[in-house]
Amino acid sequence: MPIPCRRCCVKNAVLKRPKTGDALCKECFFWAFETEIHYTITKAELFNKGDSVAIAASGGKDSTVLAHVMKTLNQQYNYGLNLMLLSIDEGITGYRDDSLETVKQNRDDYEMPLKILSYKDLYGWTMDEIVAQIGRKNNCTFCGVFRRQALDRGAALLGVKCIATGHNADDIAETVLMNVLRGDIARLKRCTAITTGSEGTIPRVKPLKYTYEKEIVMYAHYKKLVYFSTECVFAPNAYRGHARALLKDMEKVRPSCIMDIIYSGETMSVKEQVTLPTQGICTRCKFVSSQEVCKACVLLEGLNKGLPRLGIGKSSKAKRMLEEYNSKQVNGTDLLADAVNDLNDVDLDKSNKIDSKKKECCGNIDTTCNKNKSNCCGGTGKCNNQHSSAVHENGGNQKLNSLLEQYELDESSNIQDTLHPESNGANASDNSDGEYSKEEEDDTCSSSCGKMGSLQIGF
Amino acid sequence: MICKKCDSPKTVVLRQKDFYCDECFMISTNHKFRACLGKNKILAPNEKVLICLSGGVSSSVLLDLIQYGISLENTKKLRIVPFFIHIFDVESKTATDFILEQCKKYNFNVYMVHLSDYLNTSCQLPEQNCIPEVNCDVANQFHSMQNSMPPTARNDLLLTIKRTLFIKYAKLLQCNIVFTAETSNTLAIKLLCNLAVGRGSQVQNDIGFSDTRDEKVRIIRPMRDISKEELDYYIKIKQLYPICNSSINNTNSLQSVIASFVFDLQENFQSTISTVCKTADKIGVCADRTLGKCLICESNFNDVNFKLSALEATSISRTVSFANISSNHNTDLSNIFKNDSHTAVFPLVHKYLCYGCSRIHSEMKRSTLPPHLQIL
Ligand SMILES: [Zn+2]
Ligand SMILES: [Zn+2]
Ligand SMILES: [Zn+2]
Ligand SMILES: [Zn+2]
Ligand SMILES: [Zn+2]
Repeated sequence: MPIPCRRCCVKNAVLKRPKTGDALCKECFFWAFETEIHYTITKAELFNKGDSVAIAASGGKDSTVLAHVMKTLNQQYNYGLNLMLLSIDEGITGYRDDSLETVKQNRDDYEMPLKILSYKDLYGWTMDEIVAQIGRKNNCTFCGVFRRQALDRGAALLGVKCIATGHNADDIAETVLMNVLRGDIARLKRCTAITTGSEGTIPRVKPLKYTYEKEIVMYAHYKKLVYFSTECVFAPNAYRGHARALLKDMEKVRPSCIMDIIYSGETMSVKEQVTLPTQGICTRCKFVSSQEVCKACVLLEGLNKGLPRLGIGKSSKAKRMLEEYNSKQVNGTDLLADAVNDLNDVDLDKSNKIDSKKKECCGNIDTTCNKNKSNCCGGTGKCNNQHSSAVHENGGNQKLNSLLEQYELDESSNIQDTLHPESNGANASDNSDGEYSKEEEDDTCSSSCGKMGSLQIGF
Repeated sequence: MICKKCDSPKTVVLRQKDFYCDECFMISTNHKFRACLGKNKILAPNEKVLICLSGGVSSSVLLDLIQYGISLENTKKLRIVPFFIHIFDVESKTATDFILEQCKKYNFNVYMVHLSDYLNTSCQLPEQNCIPEVNCDVANQFHSMQNSMPPTARNDLLLTIKRTLFIKYAKLLQCNIVFTAETSNTLAIKLLCNLAVGRGSQVQNDIGFSDTRDEKVRIIRPMRDISKEELDYYIKIKQLYPICNSSINNTNSLQSVIASFVFDLQENFQSTISTVCKTADKIGVCADRTLGKCLICESNFNDVNFKLSALEATSISRTVSFANISSNHNTDLSNIFKNDSHTAVFPLVHKYLCYGCSRIHSEMKRSTLPPHLQIL
């Protein structure tokens, strides 16, 4: 029995909206989807007329849909925004090639200027060069720290008023849960804000804050948007992995819980007695930092002075090393070598501990990956293109198929049959598409350096 | 391996690393219970306290701790006048019999109250130490209300119903304090459940040391620093035989999903529950009573002092999927359906109900509400 569209009552509905359970036809869904984002943008006053806005573009579904919708709304409602796409290239041979191709496609499709900034542009080093300096073991510290700041640095170079990122409602709910599990009250307080950024920095805004990931996938599907879909590239830290698993299970029981969790985060207050760490600005680079000198600057200084391990350990150690380095410059003594050795020992202990912990908890995540793609990340150390695919039109995406199965109303099962005869849609692994703007608040590398497997399984 | 307090052989292992002998373990558990009450300084001498019993593990331990405390004859005597209550449902015959037996053993009197009493307006204390006659019509009405709701909403409302009954009977017995037997495990789960149903701003009252939503009666959680692991040793050592009961018995609810998640995570990471509970301790409440409070759970309404919230975003989502507004028309979407309780996702929100209760209310058969809520 076809269900009539709830809004126009004329056409047959094609999907049931996960947020409210309302069934809509394709046209009404497009309209509702875009209108909600328009409402979010205007009500939360995300932009001012005439602003230059950088859309953080990874080629993934979220940023692709964001770029498409921003372009549409900017025209339709005369926002008067000067939109551009901003992509970061870490400089890892072969890794970003496909996703950057997709971003270039976005540029052509949406007629927006695209700026691809490399780590070389931003920091003077490519990841490949850093790996050559530091060895394979600690490079994830570098790519995590550098990635967090890359968008800010890029936006500053472009001279934009703000950065729009593709964080969706699922991401935000997941972050709330994660911060509860790891007891991080400061981030718990901050993570539901639609606009972030302290005085003197370029704000980041999340126009898709209230948009369900499921609807983003459906929108891209029905609009036949081209996006880049990777599997297994996103290696969440332990807490995020658990939070994600929990959220997925909860969503199946009561889909509205995503909005309810966001509401909880928004309305929750922190007790007055609790002192929150203040977020300041790095005295050197002027980007957001909770320390006087941000971690990126410490790491950079280490690289530039030939002390690449600087900053990987505790900051007190780093300070001492620097002091000793400087005194060496003056006195010509060889204290530095001792200090480096000292630090190395400590780091080894520490990273061993972390590794063994990670092994335990990431086991689940990796198993799910391996179920679907054998040998994915499994000790190869490179998790790049062999299992990524650009989604073109009806692109082969397991997640999409399972979504269509759940929410699409007409006989769409044929899509699944033709595309993935071998895959079991319901067990599709729900991996994110490697949006690098996602972990702004995590210190961990999201494995874009390609080292996920080696860190967590290889050692 | 020896006890960390004395040199006796260890018999108790907590968190896989702390060793105790039976005696030192019991001292430490008693101390945790008393310290929790002591440091918060809430009890006046000879304070009348209503103690809520379920017959389960934590309830049995609470009963034992209280009996021990008031039996002391020195400066350490627990100076309270305890009253006991058990809230039951018709199916739980084993529980009611068990509680009666248990209280008899300790020589305590207990009041038995049926859940459907939530729908009663009458205020009478039942006879002690026996199962009261349950009015079938009221019980049926109550169960039809419960059955009209999806499991998540039903579990959520059940907590509020029990809270309401505890406070009602505390007032009848002129107790200003209520003790519940919630442990750190229960509370860690409850915190995540609260977040998942939009009650983030109510965490302090629902999970913290005390619930101060009622102006007269305070609900206190003196077992909040004691874990399930400790309880299990306690009942083993004291040879208590509690009945196995769980308030979360629906397999398809957010509460059951969260409970099994926390259980699994705690198995692998011993610090999970303590971390979650520490987080809960840092979360405050909206103290502004002028905004009004929820008729169902008595929480203060939220002061939404930001431009847009998930509540509004969800309402808009419903509006745009419902209204036949032309695409070119730039209507003020926020005003459509605002007060229509049939189409709104959040009927009566922030007028009579909080966000969480409004969601529950939209998922229940409304004709079955208790009299004081019939105006909704
Ligand atoms: Zn329609
Ligand atoms: Zn990395
Ligand atoms: Zn800096
Ligand atoms: Zn001992
Ligand atoms: Zn309420």
